[in-house]
Amino acid sequence: MIWQIILLSGLVLFSILAILSKDLIKSAISLALASLFLGILFFQMNAPYAGVFEISVVAGLITVLFMLTIALTKAEGDVRESRLARLVFPLVFVVFILIDVLVMKGLLQKVPALPETSEPGAFGDVLWKQRTFDLIGQLAIILAGVFSMLALFRKRNKDE
Amino acid sequence: MNSTWFLYMAFAACLLFVGIYCLLTMKNVIKLFIGIEVISKGVSLALLATGFVKKNTLLAQSLVITFIVVEVSLVATALAIIINIYRHTKSLDIRKLTKLKG
Repeated sequence: MIWQIILLSGLVLFSILAILSKDLIKSAISLALASLFLGILFFQMNAPYAGVFEISVVAGLITVLFMLTIALTKAEGDVRESRLARLVFPLVFVVFILIDVLVMKGLLQKVPALPETSEPGAFGDVLWKQRTFDLIGQLAIILAGVFSMLALFRKRNKDE
Repeated sequence: MNSTWFLYMAFAACLLFVGIYCLLTMKNVIKLFIGIEVISKGVSLALLATGFVKKNTLLAQSLVITFIVVEVSLVATALAIIINIYRHTKSLDIRKLTKLKG
């Protein structure tokens, strides 16, 4: 339980750093560290595949994409964020935590969730046999992403 | 087990709040997108925590992997759009996009 609290606190702390940091590169690195904490949490929850995906894809690939975008735009310090947002954040966050603790317990009893069942089989069976339609959706989304990239970086014709 | 679920969901709600606060207060387009990423972390934590508590880890895991794939596709497309926005406006300020109005 203590390890879970430490990991969850690290996750929230690095997420806060990611949004409050003035330097965009520091924000991207904080986001990657938050993903790392989330990946370790997934491993602790007996979900190694999700953990591997989270660490390799979200902490690795997405951070690289963010770094690339920051390097290509070279606009650090270009946008001035309001100081009030940074100053007010701790106060608002503490108020939210109080509301969260008070409301969440009652909410969890009311909101419907999956029934408690002990599922047999392996992860591969669930992914390939039960969730086949999700996989088709994933393929469609990856293709949509590829085509959107092609469309966005298409060179203009001379007569345009 | 209920206290574990409560702990995970409370922290997931915190992540959601942090992301929404970022979306409401920040002006840099990349920062806004980092906010969306933080929200997505909260969602994947909530999904897997519920699966873990209800002993449906395999199903929750496959949902989280689907979510991560969608997220990567979204990030790649959105960052490409951000680069195009920068080329057009020479700035990452979201307020400059109000020129698109009318």
